[in-house]
Order: sequence, then structure tokens, then C-alpha cells
Amino acid sequence: MIQRISYAFRETYASFRRNITLSVAAVITSAVSLLLVGATFLMQRAFDNLLVQWRGDVGMIVFVRPDVTPEALTFIEQNLKSQPNVIDVPKIKYLDKTGSFEEAKRVFAGDATTLSLLSIDTIPSQFKVVPKTTDPELVRSLAAQYRSLPGVAGVSLAEDEFDVISTLSGFVRTVTIAMSLVLLSVAVILIWNTIRTAIFARRREIEVMKLVGATDWFIRVPFIMEGLIQGLLGAMVSCLGLWGLNSAWTSGVAGFKAGTGVSSLVVPDSYLNGVMIALLIIGATAGGVGSGVASSKFLDV
Amino acid sequence: MIRLENVSKMYGSDQPAVRDATFDVPKGEFVFLVGPSGSGKSTLLRLMNRQERPERGNVWVAGRNINEMANSQIPYLRRTMGNVFQDYKLLPNKSVFENVAFALEVIGKPRHIIGQQVPQVLDLVGLAGKEDRLPHQLSGGEQQRVSIARAFVNRPLILLADEPTGNLDPATGEGIMSLLDAINRTGTTVVMATHDHRVVNAMRRRVIQLDRGVIVRDQERGVYE
Repeated sequence: MIQRISYAFRETYASFRRNITLSVAAVITSAVSLLLVGATFLMQRAFDNLLVQWRGDVGMIVFVRPDVTPEALTFIEQNLKSQPNVIDVPKIKYLDKTGSFEEAKRVFAGDATTLSLLSIDTIPSQFKVVPKTTDPELVRSLAAQYRSLPGVAGVSLAEDEFDVISTLSGFVRTVTIAMSLVLLSVAVILIWNTIRTAIFARRREIEVMKLVGATDWFIRVPFIMEGLIQGLLGAMVSCLGLWGLNSAWTSGVAGFKAGTGVSSLVVPDSYLNGVMIALLIIGATAGGVGSGVASSKFLDV
Repeated sequence: MIRLENVSKMYGSDQPAVRDATFDVPKGEFVFLVGPSGSGKSTLLRLMNRQERPERGNVWVAGRNINEMANSQIPYLRRTMGNVFQDYKLLPNKSVFENVAFALEVIGKPRHIIGQQVPQVLDLVGLAGKEDRLPHQLSGGEQQRVSIARAFVNRPLILLADEPTGNLDPATGEGIMSLLDAINRTGTTVVMATHDHRVVNAMRRRVIQLDRGVIVRDQERGVYE
């Protein structure tokens, strides 16, 4: 058994060296495509930080002062519920201090200064409001009306804050996903072609192997490993790149002015790690499957 | 050991390469398949190790119908046979030792067995001391000896040889024939396709003659004609 494993590794290594240019091309292409896939994930997650406040068609957020009296809070709520023609009453959602604090951690993910100033006692709680009307003027006048209520710290409107971001994020997602899919298929085709070349280069050897009674898997495994390793190497390079990009971005973002929203575009390390593991799995699978299919097709065993 | 029953093999739509071939090769026999080029000798050999499958008829090897064998069983069938070719089919970038060892390596023999069996068989074919040469540093006769060593190193039941002397001068060919004869005397069944009159006439073994895919003669201790 050890004999066979060492044989497979030796052959894989020898074949990789023999086709060094094609192998490197396959590795680079899979690295670039996987880097794009990873970057798409990270961007989505970063944009998501900005949008988390507005999830579920929320059009208006009424922030309530942290020191509000229970009477004032009830008064605000009643006020919101008294407008069933303009506001979708069943969808009104109250986020208490704990909830607001959790949310703020994401909104200010890259803004250490703001984060350090926030605490569960000083944070405003909030009502999330889904307007029924699409008339912006009406929503605006409503907002002005709520701003004057006692205990209200402020009112934010979705159209002021996130329409641009939402459109941008949708566009970026579509483009990057499309590009990474194209590049990923190019990578698989390149791996496929490398394997075909490797098989062609060794066809005499393979003929002899078949005649002396080597099993199909024995012949195939080095080729499959070669493709798998190419995919995995590409994924490793892409992880390095992604990690570097993310570090540069995270430290760069800290320099932006607070409140511009840019500082929200930061992802937590645990998410980055998850994406990197996913890339390694995608890379290895794409390489292994591509070369597996190629070797079954061209070995004719 | 080998039995063909009414075997026919077609390539494309024109006349069959082998038509209705039936014969039996008992264990330990030495058989010549003779006939001009294109008479179906090589096809018969390729039917015996299932590089080809017949359109009709059955091929039995060591008591098993190999046409009904699952593809996954074919490697194990081939481990019971050695193959020798006119063009040797050696791997040019491997040494003599490695070429022979390769046959054992790819069927998963442990290293210490390889280290034992390869020198033995190289000694048998008269190549002791040339283990480290590459194929291009050897004469044609020596290359064919390497190929015979590779075919025989696993002690197969059957040795299939396709024109093994075809590229060699008569004296060298004689040496190869006495080697095949020696292998046959160890009990290995040998089937050899050839159109070399001299070797057939010198050996006086069973001769099966083919003409355009049909067996026209099957004679004990025959000559070429």
C-alpha cells in the first residue's frame, strides 16, 4: 500500500515538472478565478453590514433616545400605529438596546473609535418601519412629524442612505460572480488540457502498464492527483491574495471619516476564514473532478 | 490453457481479420502462428489478452471465458500473461533494471520482491551487468531480451510474442528463440506470431497457419512451407 502511495506521489511530481508551463498556467488561472470568487463573498458580506439595518423593506428608522421614559416610548409606538394607510403596521418592529447594540457592531465594524464609544446603556433603541406608500414626499413629511415627538433621537430614511449602495452592491455582485464563473471554467479547461497533455506524453508507459496488468485506478490516480494539486495550489495562492487584500482594506478603512459608511465595509476574521476554507474546497474539487473526467476520457482504460 | 471457439473478428465492414477460428493450446505448449502480413496473426494474439473482443465466438484462458469477464478483471487476467513485441516497447527514459521492475511495480509488488526477482530474470536472459544501461545503449537483440525479461519476471502462465525476431538479424534471432524455448521448458505456454521461416523450421513445434483470417493448417511439429 505504501508502495502504491509513494508511486502515485512520485509520478504526480514528475508529471507536474514535465508540464511545468501548463501546470503553472492552470494554477495561476485557478488562483485568479478563486480570488475573484472569494472577493465577491467578502464584498457581499461588507455591503451587507451597511444594509443590515434596512433588511426586509425597512424604509424608515425612528431612533429613540436611550433615556426615554416608558410613557414616551408607548406614545411613539401608538403614533406609528395610528397611520395604517401609510405604514404597514404589522411590520413595525421594535429593536431594543441589546438588539441595536448587536446591529451597531456590524454597522461600525471597521470603525474602532465609534465602537469604543458605544455601550448598551448609551445606544438608542429603534423602531423599524415599512412604509406602504411609494411617494417619497409623504414619507418625508411623516419623518419630519416623528422627529418632533418627545423621546425621538432622530429619523433615518432608506432612500437617503442605502439606495446607491444597494444598487452598487447588486451590480458588483453580478459582475464579479459572472467573471469568476468564466475564469473558473477556464481554470477547469486548463487543468483538463494539462492532464490530457500529461497522458499523451506518457501514452507508451500507459500502454505498457495496461499490458502488464496495472489496474485502471492505479493508472488514473497520479493524473487525478495532479489536477487536484493544481486546483489546491491555485486555491492556496488565492487565499494568500485574499488575506492580503482584506488586511490592506481593513487597515485602510480605519483612515476614513466616521459616518461616511465606508467604515462599515469590513468583514470579521471568522468570515474570512470560512471563505478561505470554501475556496480550498472549491479549488481541490474543481481540479480533481476536471482531471478525473479527463483521465477517464483519454486513458480509455 | 487457451481455447478459441468459432472466433470471428471484424475491423470495419470489409473482410474479417479472423474468421471462425477454433483451436486449443494445452498448458506448456509452444505454438507458432504463421502467415503473411495481414493474415490475422496479431489479431489472434490481441484477442487472447483481450486488447480486442471478437464479434462472434468465445476465447477461454486458464478456464475462464475472457469475453464475459468484467473490465475490472482484465488487469488480473493480464498478470497471468507476458507480452513481447517486435518493437520491444521499452520505456526509453528508464534503465534496464527499471524497465523490468516497472512491470512488478505497477501491479503493487513490494520493493524487496522486486529487488530479488529482477536480477534473477536479467541473469536468465543474459543481461547481468547491464542493469543500469538505457535502452538506446543496447543492441536490438539486447533490447528484446529486456522486453522478454519484463514479460517473464512475473512468472506468467502464458507468453504472447508478436514477431519477436522481426527486427533482428538471424544470429540474434536464434538467441532470442533459444531464450523463448528455455522459458517454454519452465512450463510457460508460448504463442508466437511470426513470418520468419528459419525460426519455425529450426524449432519444429506446432504450427497454425493463417491465410486472410482463416486457419488453413494446424500441424504438430510443423514447418513454415
